[in-house]
Amino acid sequence: MTRAALAKSDGSLYWRIQARRMLGVRGLLLLVVGFILAYAALFPGLLTPSGFSKFTQSWFPLALVAMAQALLMLTGGISLAIGAIVSLGAVIAATTMSGALGVAGGTLAVLLAGLGVGVVTGLIVVKLRLPAIVVTLAGSFIIGGAALVILPRPGGSVPIWFSDLLAGDLPTAFAVLVAIVLLWKAYLATPLGLSLYAAGENPVGAYRSGVAVDTAQIAAYALSGMLCAGAGLFVAAQTGSGDPVIGASFTLNSIAAAVLGGVGFLGGRGTMRGALLGSLLLSLMISVMFFLGFTPVAQYVAQGLIIIGAVAIPEIRKVQR
Amino acid sequence: MTAAAPILAARGVSKSFFGNEVLRDVTIELLPGRVHALLGENGAGKSTLINLLSGALRPDGGRIEVDGRPVASFNPAGARAAGVAVVQQELSLTGSLSIAENIGIGDFPRRRGLIDYRALARSTRAALDLVGLDEPLDRPVAELSLGRRQMVEIAKALHRRPRVLILDEPTSSLSSTEAGTLAALVARLSSEGLAILYISHRLNEVLAICDYVTVLKDGVRTADQPMQGVSGPGLVRLMVGRDPGDLFPSWTSDREHRPALSVEGFSAGAMRDVSVEIRRGEVFGIGGLVGQGQEDLLLGLYGAIPAKVRRAVVGDRPALPRSVPEANRLGMAYVPADRKREGLHLLHSIATNLMLPAFARWPALRLRDRAGERRTTRDLAAHFSIRGDLSRAAQALSGGNQQKVALAKWMPHDPSILLLNDPTRGVDVDTKREIYGMLRGFASEGKAVVLLSSDAQELVHVADRVLVVREGRVAALIDREDLREETIVAAAMGAERERVAT
Repeated sequence: MTRAALAKSDGSLYWRIQARRMLGVRGLLLLVVGFILAYAALFPGLLTPSGFSKFTQSWFPLALVAMAQALLMLTGGISLAIGAIVSLGAVIAATTMSGALGVAGGTLAVLLAGLGVGVVTGLIVVKLRLPAIVVTLAGSFIIGGAALVILPRPGGSVPIWFSDLLAGDLPTAFAVLVAIVLLWKAYLATPLGLSLYAAGENPVGAYRSGVAVDTAQIAAYALSGMLCAGAGLFVAAQTGSGDPVIGASFTLNSIAAAVLGGVGFLGGRGTMRGALLGSLLLSLMISVMFFLGFTPVAQYVAQGLIIIGAVAIPEIRKVQR
Repeated sequence: MTAAAPILAARGVSKSFFGNEVLRDVTIELLPGRVHALLGENGAGKSTLINLLSGALRPDGGRIEVDGRPVASFNPAGARAAGVAVVQQELSLTGSLSIAENIGIGDFPRRRGLIDYRALARSTRAALDLVGLDEPLDRPVAELSLGRRQMVEIAKALHRRPRVLILDEPTSSLSSTEAGTLAALVARLSSEGLAILYISHRLNEVLAICDYVTVLKDGVRTADQPMQGVSGPGLVRLMVGRDPGDLFPSWTSDREHRPALSVEGFSAGAMRDVSVEIRRGEVFGIGGLVGQGQEDLLLGLYGAIPAKVRRAVVGDRPALPRSVPEANRLGMAYVPADRKREGLHLLHSIATNLMLPAFARWPALRLRDRAGERRTTRDLAAHFSIRGDLSRAAQALSGGNQQKVALAKWMPHDPSILLLNDPTRGVDVDTKREIYGMLRGFASEGKAVVLLSSDAQELVHVADRVLVVREGRVAALIDREDLREETIVAAAMGAERERVAT
């Protein structure tokens, strides 16, 4: 490349870096577009405002937990407590919003609970240097227990107007998701946010370079906790009430979505846009298979095969090269 | 320039690890405008000294001074604040981030809390220009060759505008063009008043670009002088030559004419095109700087990694083993360097460790013969003087005794070819003496002993011949009559032999 061309490309450094990251997920993007077209062909209602709203609502909580999981996997960690925090968020929302705290106070309580759980988990993992998988497994029992204490059996309620706002015919959920993604972009444009990658891939090198490795990792757990609790709130709004075990399936689905999105287990590999696309692909797969009349068993098997394929294909291509 | 005061200095520093003294009373002064070479063999204490100067370690004794003032507690952040930048051999880059983000990390220009990518582009482009790299700034580091990554690492150090630049083996992965760019850069930076500490194993490079040299040997400073009038052989002499004492056995060669193993055009891992014939009854040494491909040579011969060969004979079989069990059947045994991870199962008993190769040979479902095993392990322990209760976990043993277990476990199979990967590293002196005696003993029984060692002195005193490896190729095959530390070190570092022979 000539000097002039280099100087020109330097001027738009930020956007060029973004474009490179898009390049990394282009295969996945094509697959997702393909599934969207297939889904739209099977169910033309998808293209109406209410159909679009309903579909994004079914995707929304999975998108949040996929982000929450990817955030931790980028630091080289993982969480098995995702589902438990979703449940905790759901029961807190269902027990506070119709009471004295109201919707605003309840939302704040949910987010603070997620933040607190995340910070404590992060402190234990990072400061005591314990394996994240063990700490979050233990955490899932404790947090799940706490959810059962708050609401021993399904119940509580979320104000109907709030349920209608989030899970009605308006694309509110999609708008909230866009806002969250923009906030994430802003976070990643800060030194602390970007150091997440360095801290995950090469912690020793990052430490030597003056990166606040511990802070970056604890912040990741905190943000991850908030996202999960937020997903719980949404689930409570969707169902209009709280259920202390409703989050259970999200733990493994969050890992599946992140892996589909190309996020690696060893830290520093992958992108948030990948994880989001992974979660979207998972949601689309479920919907499309439902419309094609797959039995639930066949759906699970197909889901498993697609995930293994998604992980194996890049590896096989690497070997062939 | 003569009156310049040191920016960074270590005065009389000492450092021990687990009672093992690696630096003793070492003083070094880094002056502005001076390119200072730090030389020493493997394990002489260079890395420890760099870690002290960059705040990664604290000295046990002595002190670190910045601008003539002692610093109470020097840490990496303090070192950075004092303007010390280190380019380590182990790169600090993140593959998934762009070149610009890697250079700026830890020191990003900001605007309203966010990274200022425009300012970052300007400053990182300037740093890349210094090291002569024309790459798009948005390119992920993972896509770059190792040499280019090294240059990015140097640009990253320069991006912080340091006053002291420490370069640890900066040219080990550079092409000759890149190394030339670096030499010019070093000269320019020092003329701008930077203090530079330059660690390299390439003597010609050191002679060409450094003004001053400090030599370490076994943790002690043996030279500290201007480079004028110093020659390559002079540097080699400063780095070697300890008093061997009575550490080594006296022996006469039992080398036979019958080859135990011979290869032609052998390549495996980082090793390329080796042709060699190893005879029965000899200790065949493999030397050179650490990590030049020697380990791949051993592993390739042992069938543990894929090897290509034009012609090979092992015993009377015309091929190399393709797997470890096959190698074992051919009478080969391998003792790895990392005995804690590869050589032994630390949590299991000494007796189990001694029996493992035997378990591997027996039919999978044969019932164990406890009495026979006890006899075997008792005999082995007695023969190798491994003392104490054999039912203890192997981790209870000292490093030296662990090494003896790793070696002894092969003996019931009477191997004819022993491949030993640095068997005396981290072993106490008494056990070293025992191991040297055993190695000569094996040779006198007619076994072929292949001894890979990072210790040139040990090779000189124990081996019949030494193959010196440099950058994945055979640099020299030295016969016993020419075998001196100087010849090994000179071959390992690529100094010409004629000049050494003076």
